[in-house]
Order: sequence, then C-alpha cells, then structure tokens
Amino acid sequence: MAKLAETDIREDEETALRARLTDLEAALADEIRKSQTLARVIEAVASSTDVDTCVQVVIDGAREISGAAYGAFFYNVVDPNGESYTLYRLSGAPPEAFEGFPMPRKTEVFAPTFDGTGVVRSDDITRDPRYGRNAPRRGMPGDHLPVRSYLAIPVANRRGEMLGGLFFGHPEPGKFSARDETLMVGLGAQVAATVDLIRLSTGALTELEHRRKAEERLKFALDSGRMGSWDLDVATKAYEASDLCKVNYGRRPDETFTFADLIAAIHPEDRPRILAAIEAAIREGADYDVEYRVVHPNGELRWLHARGRAAQTADDGGVRRLAGVSLDITERKRAEERQKLLVNELNHRVKNSLATVQSIAAQTLRSVAAPEFFRDAFETRLIALSQTHDLLTRESWAGASLREVFDVELHAMAGEDRVVFDYDADVRLNPKAAVALGMGIHELATNAVKYGALSVPDGRVAVTWSVEDGVLRLIWTERGGPPVTPPARRGFGARLLERGLAAELSGGVELTYDATGLICEMALPVRALEP
Amino acid sequence: MKTLSSLKVLVVEDEALVSMLVEDMLTDLGCAIVGPAAEIEEALRLAGSAEIDAALLDVNLGGRPIFPVADALKARGVPFAFASGYGEAGLTEDHRGATVLQKPFREADLRRVLESLVGQTA
Repeated sequence: MAKLAETDIREDEETALRARLTDLEAALADEIRKSQTLARVIEAVASSTDVDTCVQVVIDGAREISGAAYGAFFYNVVDPNGESYTLYRLSGAPPEAFEGFPMPRKTEVFAPTFDGTGVVRSDDITRDPRYGRNAPRRGMPGDHLPVRSYLAIPVANRRGEMLGGLFFGHPEPGKFSARDETLMVGLGAQVAATVDLIRLSTGALTELEHRRKAEERLKFALDSGRMGSWDLDVATKAYEASDLCKVNYGRRPDETFTFADLIAAIHPEDRPRILAAIEAAIREGADYDVEYRVVHPNGELRWLHARGRAAQTADDGGVRRLAGVSLDITERKRAEERQKLLVNELNHRVKNSLATVQSIAAQTLRSVAAPEFFRDAFETRLIALSQTHDLLTRESWAGASLREVFDVELHAMAGEDRVVFDYDADVRLNPKAAVALGMGIHELATNAVKYGALSVPDGRVAVTWSVEDGVLRLIWTERGGPPVTPPARRGFGARLLERGLAAELSGGVELTYDATGLICEMALPVRALEP
Repeated sequence: MKTLSSLKVLVVEDEALVSMLVEDMLTDLGCAIVGPAAEIEEALRLAGSAEIDAALLDVNLGGRPIFPVADALKARGVPFAFASGYGEAGLTEDHRGATVLQKPFREADLRRVLESLVGQTA
C-alpha cells in the first residue's frame, strides 16, 4: 500500500509539476509576447516622425503589453505664442469617454505623475487614500471610465523637462505587476527621447525653412531691383559675384569672373578713382558708394552704381570682407544726360524768344506813327507769337502743319470766315519755320483787317499753295477791298515778309500792291520747312 | 583804333526777327552789313571770300553748329563774336574763351563787343 501511496504521491507531485511547468511555459510565452511587442513598439516609436503618431504607437503597444483596458498619454505642448497646453491620446476607450472631461489637474492622485516625482501603481486605486480627496469631483468625473487597477508613469526628457504622463487603467483590481511597471517605465523613457528628438529636428527644419525663405526674399528683392550682389575677400582678393552681378559686367552667369576681371572691366578713366574707393573702404571700414563706367566684352559701355560695406572685421581691427550690391544705371545716366540737354535747349529757346520779343518791340516802336499806337501793335504781335508757341507745345515742339499755323493766326480775327483755302496737301513745318510763317501770316492778316480786303464786308482773301520741285509756292490774294496804293515807306510787316522771312527760310517773298488787292507770293524750299 | 563807322560786319543769324534787330543795331552804329546769312553754306561762302572786318555768329543755325564758319574766319584772321542763348556753355573746346554776346543783348553791348574785336586786330 505504501508503494501504492508512494506512487500516488509521485503522481500528485508530477501533476503539480506539470501544472507548474504549464504555468511557467505560459508565463514564458507571455513574457516572449511582451518582449516581442515591446521590441516592435520601440522600433515604431524610434521611426516615428511626429509626436502624435509616436504617442499613439506607445499607448496602443503599452496597453497590449500590460493588458490594460484603457491607456492615455497626456502631453504638454507649447504653441507659437509661448502658451502651454495639454493634449491627449487614447487607447481602448472611445474619444467620447473623455469629451467634456477637463484636463487632469494636479490632484493628489495625478500630482506625482505630472510633477515627475514618481510612478503610481495601485492594485485598486479606489482604495488609495489619495483618491477622491478633492471635492467636488472627487478626482474624476462621476461618469468616467471604471478604473481600479491604475498605473501612471511620468515622462521626462534627459534634461528633466516634463513632457507628459502615461496612464493605464483596468476595471478589475490587481492587473498591473511590478514587471509591467518596469516595462512601462522603459517605454516612457523611449517616448521621452523620441519626442525630444522630433521636437529638436522640427525646430531645426523650421529654422532652416525660415532661412531659406529669407534668402529667397532677398534674392527676389535683388533680382527685381536688377541688383547684383558681390563679396570680396580682402586678403586673398577672392571675388564672388551673383548671376546678375556678372550680367552687369556683360558676363554670362556660368562664366568665371575674378577681381582682376572686374578691375579690367572698369573704364580706364574711372579705374584709379574706383581702386582708391575700394582701398579707402578697406582701410577705414568706410562705406563704398561709387558710380563708374564699365566696358562689356562686346565693347558696350554701361554705367554701374556699386555700394558696399566692410562685412567682417579681422581680429587686428582690419577689414576682412567687403560685400555689397551693384546696379546698372545706364538708363538713368542717359536720362540725366537728356535732361541736361533739354534744360540747355530750353534756356537757348527762352533766350532766343526774349531776343525775338526785343526785336518786335524795337521794330514796332520804329514803325508806329505815334507812341500811343505802340501798345496795341506790340501786344497783338506778342500774342501772335505766343499762339504759334501754343500750337507747337500741343505737338511737343515736333512741328505743325501750314494750315494749322494759318488757323491759329486767323482765329478770332474779323473776317476769318472770308479767307478761302485751295491746296492739294497740307505741308509739315519745323518749329522754326512755323514761328516765322506764323509772324508773317499775322502781319498779312492784320494789314488785311486794318486796310485791305477784310476791312470791308464784301472783301475776300484766297490762299492757295502747291509744292513743285521741292518748292512751296504760296499765294495770298486779296479781292474786293478798297483800292490799294503802294505804301510810302516799307513797314515792319513788309520788311519781315520780304527780307526776314525770305532770308530765314532761304526763299523769296514778294508783295505786289495790285490796285484790286494786295498779293503776297512766297517761294520757299521745302528743305527749309520740313521738320 | 578803328571806329565802327563803315565797319563791314558779317551777320550769321537764322531767326528773321533777331536778324532784323541786329541789322538795325549795326546800321545805327554806322556799320555795313555783310549777309545776313541764315544757312551754313551761305555763311561759309561769305566767311571765305567776302570782305569782312568782323563777324557776329549765332551758335546754332537751325540745329547745325556754327563752328566750321568760326574756324574759317579764324583761319583768315577775321575777329568774331558768338551770339548765343547758351552762353559760353554751348561752345566747343576749341572756342572756349571766345567773345560771347549773350542773347538778348543791347545795342551798347554790341558796340562794346565790336570795339574790342576791332581793337584786337588794330
């Protein structure tokens, strides 16, 4: 029996051993599964590139490892304004479970986690003396997830900055072992390292993006201002020129362009001045601001404006680099040149006009019968001159047509409608010819109104012209006026027409005092009239 | 010193009214007028061959500079003055320092200039 009993005992022990073995095998399988999960999670964490993904991977994995019903990670974020706020990620619980749930406050239960003072692991948190001591919510809202097993791990980076906390819960008590705690703490450290790394590289990328944009803006500003930029190493004379800078010197962007090339490109007359300016900028650290001519390889002469500044100072106080911009100002220089010419030309014209007025005054004074007639005669001549000027100004002093000159001089004159024109084509006049003819026509018209055909209601004036063999033949014929007799002495008008106008326009002008009316015949070479 | 009386003065001026004024002034001064010429070709012909004691030259003749005429007179040793609205600024390098009568000018200014021109050759 004893044998039998012995056998029974052995069988019992064997059963127990088998059971233990099975348990151990299960535990080992569980441990292997946890290790494999941990390895997978750590790898996923390490390869995540944004904080949200990293956090989600961690809490999903951690819940799987620990067998927690719920997992959450609360983490601190600093927005661009420097405001700090808390975000969370969940696992095992629908987001609704946390909707309307205020961010965890530093109640006695949560304080160790958020302050980073230690891990809280409880087989039944509802029995923890720290639980629910905070009225009115007693730590958690009334409808919050049923939690008894509780594990909370603070997550801090190596510099000790709190990043957030990992929280796990289960509705049944005693679910989290010391082993789970160890694994979760390791996972927390991994999360901290990864989050730190992601933030660091995001910061670096942002900084890089800022710099890239700033450089883009600078390039855009330089390009749209057609500005080239350059940089000279004072010691080695190494010269760096941007594409536009090379273009300013007539080089292609892919061509090499050295400091020696630059000096050689400067016009020989400007070179000593520019070299002196560069020397001064280097010696005194003064601003470099010069305008000079450059000769492009194709021989074209351009004007450049270069500005620069000592960009870096050597330890001995000397200048190490000179950097700046260059701009092609040829158009501006040409405009300045044109402006100068225009001002000179204007001055010349004004002085000539004053001499003309002086002449009109002197000759009007000579020709009037008595001083009291001077004013009217002088003023009407002055206005006649002014009207031709107005006409020319309307056409930017490019010229005027013969008919236009007639029209402005006859305008508002009595009998204007009794002047009949007959011609095939109008004739373009240069400004000088327009002014001269304007004065001549004014004298003819004034005479006609005062003494000739236009002094009586039935008088008529016929104006005909044609161009033959390069000569303009113009005839002014008065009919129907009082009988004409040649004047005793030649007045201003006659002198201006027959002598002045004829000489100025290199032609001939003849006045015929026909009894039936005055006739003025002009033969003027077109070359003296053309603009 | 020569007097201005019956001095033969070449007038080159392309604006009728100004030319007439200068002619009147010269006539008042007792001078004899050569020209007036309003074109370069005519002025060159007179400057090269006419009997001239002095000359008054408009700097700009219808857009063409007068300097060939001035050069021709210089070569013949005929004294001349420029009449110009430009002042001395309108002169070429060769003629800087030449006598310039700034337009508009008075008869007295013309007399002074002519006297000084004639004085140069006396």
